[in-house]
Amino acid sequence: MQSDFVNNSANISLQLPTMLSEEGMENRRGPPGVNSRSLSIAHSAADLEVLREIENVYFHPPSEFDAGRYVLEHAPASSCDDIERMFAKLKRQQQVVSGKALHLISQQRDTCDREFKEIQNIREQLSTTLQTCQRARVQLRAASNHLTISTFVILANFRKRQIIRSVLKSLELLRSLRSVEKDVAELLLKKEYFEAIELILKSKKAASSHKEYTCIADLATRLQDTLDMTEEKLDSVLASICYNFDENTFRKLRKAYALLGKTQAAMEQLHMHYSSAVNESSIEAVKNYVGDCTDMKFQEMCQSVQANKAPICLLNLCENLFLIMRSYYLLVDWHSKHDEEESIPISSNVFEIEKNVSREYIRQKLKAGLVRIWNDVQAKVSTFLKSSGLEEYPFEKFIQMLGVLRKLTQVAEVFCGDKSDLLQDFIKTQSVLYIKNYHRGRMEELKLFLENEGWEQCPVKSTFNLLYLQEFKQFKKYLNIRSDTSLLKTHSDGASSVHSQEDSVYIAKYFKQNTNHTPFEIFRNENITNDDIFGLEPELVSDDSEDDEPDELKRDFVDENDRLEPNESPSKVKDSVIVTNTTLSVLRHCGQYLQICRYLPQISLEVVMLMNQLFDYYFFTVHLFFTADLDVASSTLYSSKLNSVLKRIKNNIDTENSGVVDGKIPSPDPPQHLNFTSEENLHGLSERIVAVESVIFLAKQYEILQPYLESIVAQHQRMILEHFKDNTLAVVQDLRVPVYMCSASKSVDARTALIAMSQVKWDVKNVAVEHSAYVDMIIRKIQVFALRLENVSNKVTLNIEVLNSIWSMVSKFIVHLLVEGFSNATKCSNGGRGLMQLDYRQLFLKLEKISGLKPVPFQDYVDKYVKAYYLPRKGLEDFVLERVEYSNKHLMALVTCACENKKDRQALSVIIEGRDAAV
Amino acid sequence: MSESYEYLFKFLVIGSAGTGKSSLLNNFIGNKFKEDRCHTIGVEFGSKIVNIGGKSTKLQIWDTAGQERFRSVTRSYYRGAAGALLVYDITSRDSFNALSNWLRDARTLASPNIVILLVGNKKDMEESREVTFTEASQFAQENELMFLETSAKTGENVEEAFLKCSKTILAKIETGELDPERIGSGIQYGTGTSKRLSAPKKPARSPSDCACHV
Repeated sequence: MQSDFVNNSANISLQLPTMLSEEGMENRRGPPGVNSRSLSIAHSAADLEVLREIENVYFHPPSEFDAGRYVLEHAPASSCDDIERMFAKLKRQQQVVSGKALHLISQQRDTCDREFKEIQNIREQLSTTLQTCQRARVQLRAASNHLTISTFVILANFRKRQIIRSVLKSLELLRSLRSVEKDVAELLLKKEYFEAIELILKSKKAASSHKEYTCIADLATRLQDTLDMTEEKLDSVLASICYNFDENTFRKLRKAYALLGKTQAAMEQLHMHYSSAVNESSIEAVKNYVGDCTDMKFQEMCQSVQANKAPICLLNLCENLFLIMRSYYLLVDWHSKHDEEESIPISSNVFEIEKNVSREYIRQKLKAGLVRIWNDVQAKVSTFLKSSGLEEYPFEKFIQMLGVLRKLTQVAEVFCGDKSDLLQDFIKTQSVLYIKNYHRGRMEELKLFLENEGWEQCPVKSTFNLLYLQEFKQFKKYLNIRSDTSLLKTHSDGASSVHSQEDSVYIAKYFKQNTNHTPFEIFRNENITNDDIFGLEPELVSDDSEDDEPDELKRDFVDENDRLEPNESPSKVKDSVIVTNTTLSVLRHCGQYLQICRYLPQISLEVVMLMNQLFDYYFFTVHLFFTADLDVASSTLYSSKLNSVLKRIKNNIDTENSGVVDGKIPSPDPPQHLNFTSEENLHGLSERIVAVESVIFLAKQYEILQPYLESIVAQHQRMILEHFKDNTLAVVQDLRVPVYMCSASKSVDARTALIAMSQVKWDVKNVAVEHSAYVDMIIRKIQVFALRLENVSNKVTLNIEVLNSIWSMVSKFIVHLLVEGFSNATKCSNGGRGLMQLDYRQLFLKLEKISGLKPVPFQDYVDKYVKAYYLPRKGLEDFVLERVEYSNKHLMALVTCACENKKDRQALSVIIEGRDAAV
Repeated sequence: MSESYEYLFKFLVIGSAGTGKSSLLNNFIGNKFKEDRCHTIGVEFGSKIVNIGGKSTKLQIWDTAGQERFRSVTRSYYRGAAGALLVYDITSRDSFNALSNWLRDARTLASPNIVILLVGNKKDMEESREVTFTEASQFAQENELMFLETSAKTGENVEEAFLKCSKTILAKIETGELDPERIGSGIQYGTGTSKRLSAPKKPARSPSDCACHV
């Protein structure tokens, strides 16, 4: 029980300190409960006293102080009273304390309640706070969760995306790499060379930077292949430039090559292409005209071109080559333009310097290339010409060929300023060869014509001259018959130099881009005239003011009347034109020769010489055919000039017809169809007249040409022409003498006449009144001749000149006949001499009447001879010495008759015989 | 020269003016056809070597003027012609009517043995035809002529005309009907020496023919 108490008191005391901690504090200075609250309670001071008496020790907290123990220790061991007292005291104290405590507790209850409430409140608040905190924490946690993790995911995703994107890019790149080939091909198709190269190079770079992708491992090599192939393609485009220079293409190519760093190499390559293009297109041009041309060299191909295809083949060749030249020309042109545009100022930059050097190199290369290509072209054309059988070209084609070559030389002049001496020389030698060959053909034809010639007069107008021939149409303005030569010179001198300048402008036109035309096109035109080809005097047609002339040129030089009225007296005919079919053809040949000259002024002299040869041959033939039957002594019939002309011509003619003498023209075969034996037609007199007069006419036509010919040959060559004029053309009239003599000498039969004369007695004493009988006989014969001549004039228009020359031949024949007859008289008296005079005077009187010749020529011959009889000794000696026209026989007879003195006779005989030695 | 041949035939082309004789010749020797050609003046000439039955033969062709005023000039070329093309214009009745005169001239002036081929030219101008094929054939038959219609413009039958005529001449030589050795036959032996050697054989074979001519 005690322990319970103790425990109780302990428990209370235990609780007190804490409850009374505030009080306790106060109580340390004063007794607890001595404050206002304790006062209000009417308890008592006793209680207070009790309280005061409580030892301080009990106020110690139970943990430090064991109240029971303390009491037991301090309990008085002596008496129970003491213990009782103490107990009581303690009990009291406890009661007081408990009361006090209770009091205090009740006193403090409200406060406690309040505090408790407060505490409750706080607790509640705390719990809300806690909740808030918790919630906040939850939310914070959520927030934190949300915020932190998604950011990282975002970042992570972003990074992933980046990676994927780059992978994708690479993949796309790779995919594009895969299609590079296709794209390049497309670009190439679009001619975007630069872009193609760029693409490849980029791709290559990309490929090498993406080596890690195994899928494109061999793409790199493929790209290299593509590059190679593209370069090849570029090369082929470059090659195509040779055939047709296209500025745009070339610019693109150049850019592409620049990208490849191969500008210079490309230029080298291009030059190679040009070389091979010249080759290729030469072969291309010729190929079509050669059957099987596999494994054939160009030259062999040229040789196997058919002759008739050669001209068109040449044209193709030139055209093809021109295209290449034009392409090159444009290339050079382009470069020179661009050099100006791009010219870089001199700079110290190494790269720039290098670029400049390269540019300079290319410039030099291009400049040299012009000449080189032209030489290539020239070589090709020459090869073709050499092996194409040029000599066999027909005339028109040859002219055309010359035109083509001329054009080519003009092209060359524009192209590279080359005068093409090589080609010019070639043209010249070939032309000479051609013209000689052509001439040979013409000569053969002329021979044929002459051999077949009927020597009929061709019916042409009496005003006809060579200008009426179409072949001379172009020369009309140079060949004004009445004009002075000064006019001619200005024309011809101007022609060559002026044209070349115009030509170059004209040709340059074809070197422009954007033209599909070539200067050779005109040759394809069927209706092209040679003047068109040579660009000669295009104004010619308009120049021709006489509009009706051309018509006449064409056909109307032929006489509309079938024949001149037969009843017209020949002596009245002034201008008769006697031409044969052959004369016309010779003239036409001349026209063609002159046309050649126009186009080949450098071989004019050669051509003119050949023209003269045509004349010579005609001349020679007439002489050969129509003097073959000349049966009188010819010495006095041939003038010295005529002799020398015939001799000169004969030297060039193979009169033996051996056929072995090279370079000589075969002599024409005498015609079988001409009748020279019929007296009826005066032994072919009409043919003889036509022949001789046609030669004379021909000579006149040549003379008309002379001023023009002189104008086309070089100054120093004119002498040759003049010589021909003076010594050949001027001599043709002399041909009348021997030819007409052939007929004239048959007018009177010499044998009969001489016999008749020999029957006359010349030693008569008296001068006779009547002329001798033979005179009448001769006159009768002459009358017959005159009648037959009249018949001839029905066939041939005889002009007075012809008639006169025929009659003078008759007269010449007669005087010779008379002298011959007189010289046969061994005995002659004065009377006889008189009779002679009487006879021939009578004869000439009649002859004068019949022939219309006044006086009859050659009378002197017989007159002098007869009258020499009367000369004194000295005079006779002089006569014998000087008169070489009489034969020795004539003079001997004269001396025999004239000199009665035997000594004189002998002396003169000696002189006569000595004459031969002296001459 | 370079050309060699076995025979040379002299040919004539005759007929009225404007029938196209020169065009025929020009076509034959390879020149171009000209629409508006001038009248021939006098006589023109062309030659061509053709192959007839394996024998190369040179035709020497004289193209005569058709205009009346040239008659005297052209007649002198008739002599010794071996063959002739007698040309008329199928669009010109007049040119056909004149044939008899031309034929008489040819037979009298050239050799009587002359081989003549009648040529109806301008076959291309069918729409203006005035002479029918039949009547021309009849004329040819009556006068023992060969007959062809030609066009110098298109070249149709041109070569055939010359070849046909030449073939007939050659056939006549081979049968001995024509003697090349006779002067004025219009036939000559060619240039090749080997041919010359063969020449003497011919007269030996046909002495009887020679007698006939006399």
